[in-house]
Amino acid sequence: MALEVPYANMVRLQSWSMIKNRRLIMAEKKEKVIPDEYIPEVGSRVVTLEGKDYLLQNDAMFTFYDRAAGEFSSFFLGLKDEKKILGCKCTKCGLVRVPPMLTHCPDCDFAPTELLEVGQVGRMLSTPPITYFATSMFLHQAPFGRGRVVLEGADTALSILCYTTTGILVPGVITKDTEVKVIFKDERVGAVTDIFCVPTSELAPGQIAKKGLQESELNWAAPKEPKFPKATDEDVAVYKQCFKEMQALAAEMSESKRARKAIEGWKRDIAVKTRAGEFAMYINDGDFGIKEKKLESPDFIMACEDLRTLLDGLRYKGAITDSVIMKKLWISKNMEFTTIFKLDRLARFLAREKKEQAAK
Amino acid sequence: MARKFTGRKVGIVGASATPFKGKWYEKTYYELGQMATREATKDAAISIKDVDAVAYAIYNDIFERSAIPEHPLQGIIGMANKPGIRVTNGGSTGLYTIAAAHAFVSAGIHDVMLVLGVEKATDCFDFSSMSATPEVIKTIGWSGDCWFEQKLGWSASDSYAEVILAYMDEHPGDLKPEVTAQISSQLSKQVRTNPYAQRQFDQVTPEEVMNSRYIVYPFKELEICVYTEGAAALIIAEEKTAKAIAKNSGKPVVWITGIGESNEWAYAGKNQNHWGRIYSHHVAAMKAYEMAGIKDPLREIDVVELHDAFIQQLEVSMAEMNFVPLGRADDLVEDGIMMPGGKVSVNPSGGLIYCGHAVGASNIMSAWSTRNEIINKGLRRGLVHGTGSTICQYGAVTILEHD
Repeated sequence: MALEVPYANMVRLQSWSMIKNRRLIMAEKKEKVIPDEYIPEVGSRVVTLEGKDYLLQNDAMFTFYDRAAGEFSSFFLGLKDEKKILGCKCTKCGLVRVPPMLTHCPDCDFAPTELLEVGQVGRMLSTPPITYFATSMFLHQAPFGRGRVVLEGADTALSILCYTTTGILVPGVITKDTEVKVIFKDERVGAVTDIFCVPTSELAPGQIAKKGLQESELNWAAPKEPKFPKATDEDVAVYKQCFKEMQALAAEMSESKRARKAIEGWKRDIAVKTRAGEFAMYINDGDFGIKEKKLESPDFIMACEDLRTLLDGLRYKGAITDSVIMKKLWISKNMEFTTIFKLDRLARFLAREKKEQAAK
Repeated sequence: MARKFTGRKVGIVGASATPFKGKWYEKTYYELGQMATREATKDAAISIKDVDAVAYAIYNDIFERSAIPEHPLQGIIGMANKPGIRVTNGGSTGLYTIAAAHAFVSAGIHDVMLVLGVEKATDCFDFSSMSATPEVIKTIGWSGDCWFEQKLGWSASDSYAEVILAYMDEHPGDLKPEVTAQISSQLSKQVRTNPYAQRQFDQVTPEEVMNSRYIVYPFKELEICVYTEGAAALIIAEEKTAKAIAKNSGKPVVWITGIGESNEWAYAGKNQNHWGRIYSHHVAAMKAYEMAGIKDPLREIDVVELHDAFIQQLEVSMAEMNFVPLGRADDLVEDGIMMPGGKVSVNPSGGLIYCGHAVGASNIMSAWSTRNEIINKGLRRGLVHGTGSTICQYGAVTILEHD
């Protein structure tokens, strides 16, 4: 027992110093594990169906972790502190796995593996998917590609975020076998999100060769509002007709129980700019409105040369999301993809309501 | 290695499904579970007291908001003081649960078992966008690898899209958008006769599918399954008991004659996952065919209820299960194989895209539908398919046959 007491004290002391350090870190970095805006207030609501009330409770299921990175510590600390990428090599078959997800090779009756550093340039194992509709946790990084890169010196593929420095990632920019470079974030925390990749074709030779190239060393294209040529009389006539139709459609949407659901609890004032005119689009908890007005401080701007692009989307003839992806419609904030999805749903819900009514 | 099945013969003697709905405001998963159980015992014309044990198919603790979600059900469904086991295997939870129950009955541990799948997915709600879907996707996102992938924004859609894009890299002429659009449209027609489906009246044209928005490239909104709440149940029994129950209920036994599963590597690259394929589905099907003695699935199987998380994956899964060659999955439409009058009926229930995906209950709903098709249309043999986990890692196949 005599020996155990000091040891226990030591552990206690160590824990206290760790906690103190953690408090310091938390004080410096104000970012929370769960950002406040995602946390609902305590409350409830009632939905009435066929004359009967049903309760809905605001609720959460949450757990916090003091998660041990264990055998992965070297890999994550390598990313964070040394800007290097580690893999593990089987001492028997020589297969190099990145990330180093195991200490013994299952193909060789669990022969031990050894850590080694691999290159920071590689080729995509396959064409990466692009996520446009992200969850609330990943809205800030959408649209994003997530692919698998086989780095120089590795046999297996590392899952990694894929970006282009030229703007929104669209299909075709990064495909199977595209050569990419791993880029390190300026602020790293020891997580797989400390790195991402961009095509080497967008980099200078010196950047490609540099180990530990950081995001701030890249030449990122800034979002720029498109400028349209002067409108012709015909453009103005088309615009006026479209605007009228859009107003009628908006009234129909505001009256549709189902369509209202698409924009329930959502509020946005949007400035819509086109070649032949500018107007305001309002989303307000189920209400959808179009007004001839120039907004001074909109939540965001939508710009499309021809208003028919937007009108077709709202009529459920082609998705507005696709218009953004195909660069027919420009939005000033990528985060507002959420609103674009809601507008697509608005169109779909109205179309679906009409169709179901006809079917029944 | 060839294996010989030596267990007792096992058949389905009762089945049920609750309506699949986008949201059940009126019922919790307790009531949905009991509802499916009540209907299944009614269908088999037995008392719940005649059932020896239960196997629960519930995929995700977070959906049900309990880390042991099956425990309240035990008494509620009338199974107190009897064995209950929960199975969870991602999207293929339902088929793995059928396999587990089959193993118990075939081994002689139990004579009659209840297989109960239930999921309440859309109670999850994202208060920042004021909609359920992003939170449902986020909840499923917790299923991804927790060190190397979750934090990148891993989602079921982006994970399956990876597999499909890798297949398209190998077979650039296959999975044409015009074909996937036709399949989705066809499934939307088929769902019309399924009164339990979430989207019974949501018939879409190929053009509407083509025009729907991208969720994750290359998947469009009308090519993706919808998250659903609901339950489904089966009553299975060993041969002698099954025949006695069938005699009493007047419904023929539908025998479980083939079972196969496979779980691949979760990571890609040399010596790991078979990139560009959905190999788990291939292995699962081959095992099930071997057990059922099937040599040519296209000739010997009349109906397939396939876990169509995504239309493109439906096509590749059909190829992996040898209905069409790899690289020519579009033959399903272009040769009319799965179109009206074709050689095989695929997803008469509307599948998970139109009937809905109540994860733990989905494959059981598929088995329920296959049994209905076999009994009501006098078909010989059906195949039920399930997929799950990251990059279609899990594959499961069950073969059902007419008495």
